[in-house]
Amino acid sequence: MPEPRFRSRTYRRITKKLPGGDHVIHYAKRKPGVAKCAKCGASLKGIPRERPYKMQILGKSKKRNERPYGGNLCSKCSRQLIKKEARQ
Amino acid sequence: MYETGRLCVKIAGRDARQKCVIIEVLDDNFVMIDGQTRRRKCNIKHLEPLDKVLKLKKGASHSDVVSALKSEGIEVTERKTKTKKERIVKKRKAAGEIAEKTTEEPAKKEEPKAVKPAKETKKKAELKEKKKK
Repeated sequence: MPEPRFRSRTYRRITKKLPGGDHVIHYAKRKPGVAKCAKCGASLKGIPRERPYKMQILGKSKKRNERPYGGNLCSKCSRQLIKKEARQ
Repeated sequence: MYETGRLCVKIAGRDARQKCVIIEVLDDNFVMIDGQTRRRKCNIKHLEPLDKVLKLKKGASHSDVVSALKSEGIEVTERKTKTKKERIVKKRKAAGEIAEKTTEEPAKKEEPKAVKPAKETKKKAELKEKKKK
């Protein structure tokens, strides 16, 4: 019987195959949700779904796009905004 | 609309929101740009044209573009180009610390190799010792 905290679904289950051919279940904390565009709500590309401790290790350019508003707005919305700024 | 000398704003990629000038029209879809952005080929879908056209020749040099933009009040900050660092190994080789690899094949290779006995793992060796005891 697994430990009480592992009986609920707060932890995700990962099946691992051992060298001997056995399968064991590993428990890990769930990953956070996908990053969303602040304007339209579309999912942002190129942004990893990792827990904060792993995001700390990653470089800046691996956590967001190298565009103005990268990691905050999607490409369509940032284009619209930059066009608007240019036309003023 | 997209002719040489047209002032534009780049709206996609890492140079987005930076101003540039069209230097050359390559075909219906692509142009060469220079200015605050890098000097590069660019799709016209990634450009937002502005109402100004600068007097520039086709394929104008970077310094010409910079001076033309300065007259319009747009300053171009020069980006630092990376200088290649000499690798430590090369330095050490030059100093003679490491012997350089010879291209000639060693004569030993031609001789037939003696069959090596199979390596014993630690566990196997331990078992053997136990049996002896």
